[in-house]
Amino acid sequence: MTAEQLTLEALLAHPANGGLRMIVGSGSTVWDQAVVEQDEPGLPSSGRGQLAILTTALSSAPWQQDALMRRVHERGFPIVALPRAERLSAGARQIAERLGLAVLDVDRPIDLTKACWELSEAGDALTLRYVRRVAQSFAYSAEDLAGLLRHLAGNVGHGLAVVDASGVLHEAGGHLEDSLRKDIRFDAWLDVARSGSSSAVSVRIESPTHTGLRLVLFGQGLSSAQLRALSAAAEIAMPAIAARILIDDVAAVNDAAASSGLLRDFLDLRGGSDPEVERRMLEHGWKTAGYHLGFRVIGRGRVDPFQLLRHVAQGLGRLGTDSHATTSGRGVTGWLSFPDMPPPNQVEKAVSALRELHTQTRRSFNIATGVGSMQHGSPGLASTLGEAADAARIAADRASTGWFLRVDSLGLDQLLLAWTGSDTFIPAAESLLASLRKDRNELLTTLSAYLDHESNIVATATALNLHRNTVATRIHRAQEILGIDFSDPESRLALHLACRALLR
Amino acid sequence: MLELMLGRSRGWPIAIAGPEELDPTTPCLAAAFVGSTILLGERLPGDAPFEPLVHAVERWLGIRVPAVCSLEGGGLNGLVPLTFAPDRIVVDADCTGRAVPGLDQISLFVDRLPGIVAACDTGAGGAMLVSTDRAIDAERVIRSAIIQAGGAGGAVFAGFTVGDLIEHAIPGHLDVALRLGSAYLSSAHWPPAALAGALGGRLLGHGRITSVDTDDRDPFVRTVELAGVNGEVHRIVSRTETLAFMTDGRLEASAPTVIALLDAVSREILEVTDLTLARHIVAIELPGPAWWHASPHRLRRVQPSAYGLTELDAIT
Repeated sequence: MTAEQLTLEALLAHPANGGLRMIVGSGSTVWDQAVVEQDEPGLPSSGRGQLAILTTALSSAPWQQDALMRRVHERGFPIVALPRAERLSAGARQIAERLGLAVLDVDRPIDLTKACWELSEAGDALTLRYVRRVAQSFAYSAEDLAGLLRHLAGNVGHGLAVVDASGVLHEAGGHLEDSLRKDIRFDAWLDVARSGSSSAVSVRIESPTHTGLRLVLFGQGLSSAQLRALSAAAEIAMPAIAARILIDDVAAVNDAAASSGLLRDFLDLRGGSDPEVERRMLEHGWKTAGYHLGFRVIGRGRVDPFQLLRHVAQGLGRLGTDSHATTSGRGVTGWLSFPDMPPPNQVEKAVSALRELHTQTRRSFNIATGVGSMQHGSPGLASTLGEAADAARIAADRASTGWFLRVDSLGLDQLLLAWTGSDTFIPAAESLLASLRKDRNELLTTLSAYLDHESNIVATATALNLHRNTVATRIHRAQEILGIDFSDPESRLALHLACRALLR
Repeated sequence: MLELMLGRSRGWPIAIAGPEELDPTTPCLAAAFVGSTILLGERLPGDAPFEPLVHAVERWLGIRVPAVCSLEGGGLNGLVPLTFAPDRIVVDADCTGRAVPGLDQISLFVDRLPGIVAACDTGAGGAMLVSTDRAIDAERVIRSAIIQAGGAGGAVFAGFTVGDLIEHAIPGHLDVALRLGSAYLSSAHWPPAALAGALGGRLLGHGRITSVDTDDRDPFVRTVELAGVNGEVHRIVSRTETLAFMTDGRLEASAPTVIALLDAVSREILEVTDLTLARHIVAIELPGPAWWHASPHRLRRVQPSAYGLTELDAIT
């Protein structure tokens, strides 16, 4: 077998290096081969380009430490590793530095020897070790993708991450630096990226539901032998990661369906109580006690509520507040819970966090968000969610507020008007005014303006830029078609609301 | 203290005789203070501290011993024989040629000379006499008696002749000491290398003390680290005396070679207890007596390994 040149960095990065620590020297020291002996007299007389590993611990006598440094150096070794080297005296460290000798402390010299052998001569053994470690990780049940990554990182001994072109989605066992991540190529099946002393191997995750994901294994000072071995480990781990992503998706869909149903049942109670619903809510981890701030995110076009929920839930996770969210109708309903009445500044902070979440979500989805007021207890939860739904409905038409509205900022009239947009009112209004909508809405707009201007023909004509006779004729026709007495206050109110609902 | 005693001596100028100048059959004795020399400064010995001990050995041997030599040529004990003048002939010979901590390391015992007797103080004017050919017994018994006597006291060895000293001791000791002393007085403030040359030795190094460590196994063993002037690391290993000197992990000198340490500023000669942090010192190697190197069995008793200190013996 051809031996490969070893670097100290690679050895320090090896997960089973016997507890290797740098005492004197730099990570850039290189050598070809390791020699292991019980003590210094057993070492070969020519140690040029070799690592000396001694199994006997360093003596506590300073003069013996000095002498050891001198003699190892005189044998030509550039680097020596031995147990208890951390107790090297300041003077002996200085001597090692003067002589240009690197000194390492190692708890288990035999493990270090094995690691050297794997790195320099037995790449397959190293690969096998990593692959076995990957396989062992599957023995532990993981709750989700993050858990699986943690198990893998713990067993393999290097950092793991799942990334897409925009950034890191999950990582465990270390932090994948941005500079390194940017060097990862997304078109190749397998890729090795380097940035400074850190390097990463990555493999494409073959997932039917998510494209453009890569599994990355990364670390500091990894040698090419280690990177080769880690590539194999990444390939072995990838299908498990892909499967895990699919399982998580299915579980999330199931969970969303169940929680969506539960929320519907809760809202149907309209603030009342039902032991069965309460029990289910508790099982779901939804506490009704405390204070709640409801919000609702609805699509302003076609939006997959489940995708939207996943995005929102991810954002909520970063808020650091007790939060819940689920799909409901064509959007997502959720709330933040607080055990005690939060002070006003905290409420403001929560709302601005929701606004931030809204802004972020808008980058991927065409949505509008409404936020309710802070309410207490189970009835409070129902009412804040109701407020949020109203606010969201209004927000859908409010480009001026960035399609984000908070119920506290709305007047009562706005709210009342918002109710006319409900699913029951609009069909009723439509059927009431259907006959007026035949001629390009001409009669409907005229009627609406007439009602807006307190049944004043002149004011209506001015507003619509028409002749007052035209207005009078149109009102007359409308009255005939509808068969409603415009002088009756209740009929007028119903007509006015119906016009508002349809012309919005 | 001894200088004061000697100042009042009737014998000045004191005549010194070489061992070859005397009849080889002349019986001889060697005397020294044993134990803590610091204690002697606090509790002064009498004006004739060795008299009861000499009396005891003469009575044991049944003869008067007319000649006296030194037992340990270092420090205070180097002057002890002079206190016997003019009543006895002072012979210029020494039983160690340097400082050593154990009585079993004196040359007469190292060479296993038969018939040696030793007497020492036991306190309150009492004396004890040991007659043994096994050196370690003499060391242990006398050490116990000295502890009994209060930690310091006199010891007198006899049962040998002036002729024995030629082969089994280090002759010419006083002569060497006198020359060394004069050279030191005339050149004490010269640059370190010149001073070392004037003393007939070699400059080992000079620098500032950066650490003083006590050995884990032997509390008497101290290791002193010196930061050398050119960045080198010097290491002095000492017990009751300086035993070895290393530079950058390489052994430069070790016992029986004499390693003299001086304060770099005052040029005061330092004992091992004077080596304290941040002091600037000069280390000079002075050739040790050739007697110790003449045979492996002698070297074994005086090298650092005699005290269990490994890897410090000079390879000969």
